[in-house]
Amino acid sequence: MKGESLLSVSGLGAGYGKIQVLRDVSLEVAEGEFTAIVGANGAGKTTLLTCLMGLLRPTAGSATFRGRSLFDLSAHRRVELGIGYIPEGRRVFAELSVEENLRVTATRRPRGAAAGEREVLERIYGHFPRLAERRNQAAGSLSGGEQQMLAFGRALALEPSVLIADEISLGLAPIVVDRLFELLGELHRAGTTIILAEQNARLALEAAQTAYVLEAGRVILRGPARELGADPKVVDAYLQHL
Amino acid sequence: MFLSSLIDGIATGSLYALIALGPSLIYGLLRVLDIANAAGLTLGAYVGLKVWRATGSLALGIVAGIAASAVFGLGLQRLLYRPILNRGPLIPLIASIGTFIAMEEAFRLVFGPYPFAFPAKLGLPTLRFGHTVITGVHLVILIVGLLVLGLTWFALRRTRLGLYWRATSQDMATAEAMGINTRGVVAAIFVIGYALAAVSGILLGINYNTVYPTMGDIPAYKMLAIIVLGGLGNPLGTIAAAMLIGLVETFVVMYAGYVLPRDAIAFIVLIVILLARPQGLLGRSRKAA
Repeated sequence: MKGESLLSVSGLGAGYGKIQVLRDVSLEVAEGEFTAIVGANGAGKTTLLTCLMGLLRPTAGSATFRGRSLFDLSAHRRVELGIGYIPEGRRVFAELSVEENLRVTATRRPRGAAAGEREVLERIYGHFPRLAERRNQAAGSLSGGEQQMLAFGRALALEPSVLIADEISLGLAPIVVDRLFELLGELHRAGTTIILAEQNARLALEAAQTAYVLEAGRVILRGPARELGADPKVVDAYLQHL
Repeated sequence: MFLSSLIDGIATGSLYALIALGPSLIYGLLRVLDIANAAGLTLGAYVGLKVWRATGSLALGIVAGIAASAVFGLGLQRLLYRPILNRGPLIPLIASIGTFIAMEEAFRLVFGPYPFAFPAKLGLPTLRFGHTVITGVHLVILIVGLLVLGLTWFALRRTRLGLYWRATSQDMATAEAMGINTRGVVAAIFVIGYALAAVSGILLGINYNTVYPTMGDIPAYKMLAIIVLGGLGNPLGTIAAAMLIGLVETFVVMYAGYVLPRDAIAFIVLIVILLARPQGLLGRSRKAA
């Protein structure tokens, strides 16, 4: 099942000012793999993903993506490499319409992409009919669930080969969460590499192949997601309260 | 009389909009009030005048003025704003005002303290319909102004740069993470903003037939009033505010005479409107994050 290594992170440290959040985090992601990063609130999941995306400069460590050094690239250059991003808290462009939000990323695809812009947008409207109904509405006027669909769709409009998703289930109705996870599964089966940070560990461990458990900024466990989901230590620490 | 004043007011408003549009676009991206933009205006006027004098071609003068101002703006962005942007809003503002004052002194040293005349012919006749008179210069200001404003609206709504400007002005980090080269957007907006300043400077110079080191003073503070009045970071609001101030100034002078200095009117309008709408004419309401 494992392909060649796509992303390799070693010794990553990061923080905000004098507060150290991540310490010596290492990560291996294979081409086409579905990786979950679980851990309690404040464990450093979002910090890890913002470092991968280029929104936060690491204080230590290195990362290679398809053999290239990742940390030297600004965020938009990483997007050019095919990395799509669903940020924590959705971060849709509130004053742009739904369609304009999607066009931001649809126009950032590499030149000569097979599908036209219109085709990509229609595909996303196919995934999320609610967005099609509201395509001309300002994104800020959408409900929380619709905004999360838009944040998801906005990342998909890039036609990414790697999708980095941060807390997509937070505060959403179960039916919306089910739909989003179903879509993650579809993307994975179609060959997209997925890195998902999720507080809802049960959900993430069911969907993913490989999982990392973060605690206080360190990786304390890593392994096949299903095994971690059955590990009494993990169940005690992260799954019991759910 | 009324029609004359109306056209006069719209011409003045177009000129104000040209002056304020660049700083408004820049404010949207960086949240910095780019007072030094008015130095780009004076620089554009001087370079435009000198090249026109040397070559006899006003078109060449305009191109040279635009180029000089754009290079100046881009340099300012790279060397002044970029290193200090994360130090809070006051430091870039003070640096900008300081640059503006320093540039005025530089103009005095390089070009001398005396005003130059700028008697370029713009090639349009003075139009008369009965009592209504439109001078050729006003006609040009009207045409250039409305053209640039229409183009701006079109660019913001219908082009990629416009889309990226709007996304970046709302959330720069997320825009970057969605693949927008936000540094490139900022650079492009500085080039456009300082090009507009140069065009305004040349039009001002020809309109009043004078170019002098401190000609940017009044535009600098009026553009401040217009940007705040229109709603900070909203270019369409800036255009609306510029038109409003241009018309109010013209009509107050027309019907009430010089009861107070013309240049005080912008601030009176500003104060009155901000009392009713603290976010400005088309400002973003506070709740939209």
